[in-house]
This record gives sequence, structure tokens and C-alpha cells, in this order.
Amino acid sequence: MANIELRGVSKQFGDVKVIKNVSLTVEDNEFVVFVGPSGCGKSTLLRLIAGLEDLTKGEIHIDNARIDHLAPAARGLAMVFQSYALYPHFTVAQNMGYALRVAKEDKASIDKKVRAAADILQLTDYLDRKPKALSGGQRQRVAIGRAIVRNPKVFLFDEPLSNLDAKLRVAMRIELTKLHRTLNATMVYVTHDQVEAMTMADKIVVLRDGMVEQIGAPLDLYNAPDNRFVAGFIGSPAMNFFAGKVEGFVEGGIEISLTEGAPLTFPCTGSGLSIGDAVDFGVRPEHFCIGQGADGTLKGEVYAVERLGGETYLYLSSSSQKELVVHMSGDHQVAVGDHVEIGFSIAQSHLFGPDGQSVR
Amino acid sequence: MDDSEYTRAKRRRARNLKLWLAFLLAPPAAILIIFVFLPMASAVVYSLYDWNGLVRKEFIGLDNFADILFNPNKNVILFNAFGNNVKVFVTLMIVQNGIALVLALLLARNPRGFRFYQVVFFLPVILSTVIIGFQWKMFLNPIFGLVNKALHYAGLSEWALPWLGLPETALPSMLLVNSWHWFGFPTLVFLAAIHRIPKDFIEAARLDGASEWRIAREIIWPLIAPAVTIIVVLTFIGSFNWFEIPYIMNGLEGSPQGSTDMLGLLFYRTAFGSVSAGGSDFGSGSALAVLMFIFIFIFSIIATKYLTSREVEMS
Repeated sequence: MANIELRGVSKQFGDVKVIKNVSLTVEDNEFVVFVGPSGCGKSTLLRLIAGLEDLTKGEIHIDNARIDHLAPAARGLAMVFQSYALYPHFTVAQNMGYALRVAKEDKASIDKKVRAAADILQLTDYLDRKPKALSGGQRQRVAIGRAIVRNPKVFLFDEPLSNLDAKLRVAMRIELTKLHRTLNATMVYVTHDQVEAMTMADKIVVLRDGMVEQIGAPLDLYNAPDNRFVAGFIGSPAMNFFAGKVEGFVEGGIEISLTEGAPLTFPCTGSGLSIGDAVDFGVRPEHFCIGQGADGTLKGEVYAVERLGGETYLYLSSSSQKELVVHMSGDHQVAVGDHVEIGFSIAQSHLFGPDGQSVR
Repeated sequence: MDDSEYTRAKRRRARNLKLWLAFLLAPPAAILIIFVFLPMASAVVYSLYDWNGLVRKEFIGLDNFADILFNPNKNVILFNAFGNNVKVFVTLMIVQNGIALVLALLLARNPRGFRFYQVVFFLPVILSTVIIGFQWKMFLNPIFGLVNKALHYAGLSEWALPWLGLPETALPSMLLVNSWHWFGFPTLVFLAAIHRIPKDFIEAARLDGASEWRIAREIIWPLIAPAVTIIVVLTFIGSFNWFEIPYIMNGLEGSPQGSTDMLGLLFYRTAFGSVSAGGSDFGSGSALAVLMFIFIFIFSIIATKYLTSREVEMS
């Protein structure tokens, strides 16, 4: 397998800069997920690696060899498309073996490799079928099989699960993670679904407007987001933010006032902040509790309740916030219209400065 | 609403819908019956009678058919014309549609000036066949025609020929003119079909290492089968009904030496009379028209069935 290095990669379509000076490294055998909102450039970045788009600037290296001048097929990569891109007039076996046929491998070798991949993906019984006669999940597996038989240096996945229903998506998520372990392969995976990113990735690259916002392990991004965007993007439902102001500096931290509730002392160095600076205070929905909190308490009126059995989501409006989301495990007998107190602890909270960067 | 009222309302709605459909379908159906089916039926009836000029005489059954098919004086002309129509079909399939496919494949790559080329290629299609026929007849004139003058200025005077006057060059010249006139149409049809192929298929094939030729042959060609069906059938019908260009460029007799004679010209000469065929013979003309219709109809059905069977759904 292989490592990938992107050095100052930029891509421009006409006057529109889609990728702006992106540098990152994907280590050997790593499962890296590019995640971000629609239009952030994650698929373009993947296509640049695949060679389906030309770079405007920068370099791409695989195993320390520059490959951005090479044709897609010469880069030693395999890609699984969102639409699966299975040739409808070929059978499953013909689809999976197409790259090998093009490479003029002998028939016996193609057959052996196709059967081996089909075995891994439980597709052996479907090898003679056309894609039309397969379910969404089976088509997805054929698309992965087509990538596997090529024995590529790197697997690229472009939102491969987005056409599947919710149940199948979860199943395929687990399948792909298992496959990564089985093949011990370097994989780059694009998704807009942060749950996929959190559950599958060794490393997540969060993108916004063609730029990297943060790179890190899933829980690092969840626990210590670098900025307000990453804090809001990673985690579902999204983090609640409260507008605040720096009131003063105390030993080991800063004192902030929020638009509601008592002033708080937030432990940090406070470097770069001044008294009067506007800050954003963030608490994840799952870090609220009903009742008094260890470090702070807010009051709100419940305007919607979602009971999922194992967990409950409360949607509240408070004097300063139109929408506050609270996540609780189990079933809570809270009704629409109830006035409730919700508490939080500073240890599980986040603070972002006027520039949106995390205050630590 | 009780059951009977519900049933009445449902029936009323169904009746209104039927009336509306009948109202929409009646005018085109009437036009088809009056101007297509009735003339076809009358041609069949005419073909079963002996005719003296425009006067219908006695019922003679299939004698007109037997005459044009088995009378050695007549069938030699028929088979010559039929052979020329076959040549027209084969040549147009290879030259006109082949060029169209290549151009569509090139245009599908979205080259600079894509819109311009699209318009330029399609422009001759909208011109009248009569204008094109006369224009090219002048271009191909052996003395003052543009083609021979251009060859002369290019230092290729020995290549200058009376293009429409030689049996070897008359039909090929007309076929080139026809191809020039019509190639824009199959180009657009093929281009639309290529654009319907998801981009992912082509990109996946590129990642699989397939060359552009291989992609065209193994991915694009099978997936544009519906367009191929349309073009093959239309070219077939057009080839066996070919009339205007040979008529305008070399007249009704299919000259020189019958090299540009077509079934359409033969029909016209037989039915309405000409220098070579003599007076009009509505009976034989109608029999020829009926035979042409049966042949074109049967071949079109077989071709459509065969070509449709190799079409694949895109998803």
C-alpha cells in the first residue's frame, strides 16, 4: 500500500477557486475521511488525487513519487463512485474484471482475481448477473469489488453510501471498516455525513470553502475542535452556541458573561483576548443535563420533543436563544410547553474567540 | 357520499377523461386517415386494376405485381434501381453516419467552440433539399463548377471530372452531397445519446485504464444503442425513398446509364410517365409503391426489433 502527500494543492474552475492551497498527508494503511458541507471541495480534492481533474497548482505524491502529471490509470488508484458507475451492459464478473481485461491479463488470472474479490464481498452467486438485477447494496459491493481486483495502491471512495437507505448504510459502513482491516489498505473516503466520518476514519480532514479547517482523529475533533466551524460541524445534533463577552482576566482563566445566566470563569491562557471581546460559548447537546449544572444553569421552554426510545431530544427556546438542543439518553417525560432548567459543566464546554478560533 | 354517488362521480370523471382524449386525438387521426391511410389503401386498390392513362379499366388481380417483378424487360430496371438504393443505404450508413458518430464523439469532449461547431454541422440540415441539389449541381458542373475550378487552382487539374456525367462518379457524388446535407442530424442524435451516458461510466473506464478508442467501442457504443436504432431505421427509410437529390441533380431517368436510378424515380416514371417509360401506368406504379412499402415496412420492423434487443437500460 502507499502514503499520499498533497503539497499546496489548488484547483480553479474559471474564476472560481475550489481548492485553496491544501497540504496534507495520508499515511500508509490509513483510512482518511474528507468531510465538509456541500460545495466545500471534498469531491474535487478526491478527483484531483484520482487524476480526473487537473491541478491548477501544487503537487501530489504517492510513495514519495510525484504523480499529478500521470493519467488516472497510471496512478495505481481505484475509485468507487457515488453512482457506483457499473457498466450496465456487463455482468458483475465483467464489471469487476474490466480493468484487468484492459491490462491484457490472461483469462484464468482475471477469473481467479474476480472470484477472490467476489468471495470477500459475498458476490460469488451474482457474478453472471447484470447490475440491473442487483440491489443497491449488492451494486455497491460490485463497485468495491471492481476496485479490489485491481489491487491498487490507494482506494478512493466518493460518497459511496449516499444512495443507500439508512439501514443498509450502517451495514455497509461496518463492511467497509472490516474491508479496510482485511485489505490493510490506504483509503481516502469522501462524505458529507459526519457520522460516517466519525465511525470509519482513522483521521478526518474537515474542509470548508476549499480549505482545510482541521485534521485529526475523530475524537480529537469532537473533544478539541480548533474552531467554531469544526465544533459546529462535528457532532450530531450540532453544538449549541451562546454569544458572550470577555469581562476580565482571573488566575488560570477568563471571566465571561453570556446573554443569559450567571457569569462564568473559563479556564484558559486567554492569550490574544481583550476585555470586551465577543466570544462564543459552546455546549454539545449531550453535555447538558436537566436541572442544575455543575458550573451553570439556563432556563428554557420546550417547543418540541423527539423520543426515539433509547434517547430523547428536547428543543428549547430561552430568553436569548431561539433554538437549544438537549440530548438525553433514555425516555424523559418532558412535554411541549414545559419550562425546564438545563445545566452544564465548564469541563465539557468550549470557547471560541472573535476570530472563531478555539480559546484554550 | 354514499356508494352509488361515489360510483357515479367516478364514472363521470372517467367519461370526461375519455371525451377529452378523443377531442385531442381526433384531428391528428383524421389527418392521418385522409392523407396517409386512404392513399395507401387506394394505392393497393389501384395496383389490382389495369389502367389506361388516368382511366381505370378492369380488375386484373396481381398481374401488375407479376409484370414488374417477372417481366424481364421491366425487372432489370427494377433490380438495378433496387441495387442502387442498397448502395445508397450502405454508403450513407458508413459515410454519413460514420462521420456523424466520429464528430459526436469529438463534440462530446466539449472542445473549445463546441456551440459553434454544433450550429455549423446542423446548418445544412435546415436548408431545402431543392436548394442543396441545385447548388451542388452547379458546384459539380464540369466547366464552370466550383469543385473542378478548385482542383484546377490546387494544381490537380487531372482530377477534374464531369462528376455527374460519369456512371462511376455520379452516384458517389450525390451520396457525398446527401451526406453533407444530412450528417448534422445523426451527429446531434448521437451527441444527445452520448450526453445521456453518466460521466461516471467514462471516468471509471479511464481509471480502469481503457483508451479513448476502447471507451468509444466498449462503453459508449453499446450505451448509445437506442440512438443507433433510430438512425439506422431512418437512414434505411430515407435511402429507399431517396428521390429529391437524384431527381434534381440528374433528372428522372437515373442517368448516366441508370447509375443513379432509384426505386422512387422508377415509381415516378412508371406511374406518371416519362421519356423512357412512355405514358403513365397507374397500375404498375401503384404495384411498385406497394412493394416498396411492404419491403421498407418489414425491414424496418425487423431492424427495430433486432436493434432494440441490444439496447441496455442505463441504470
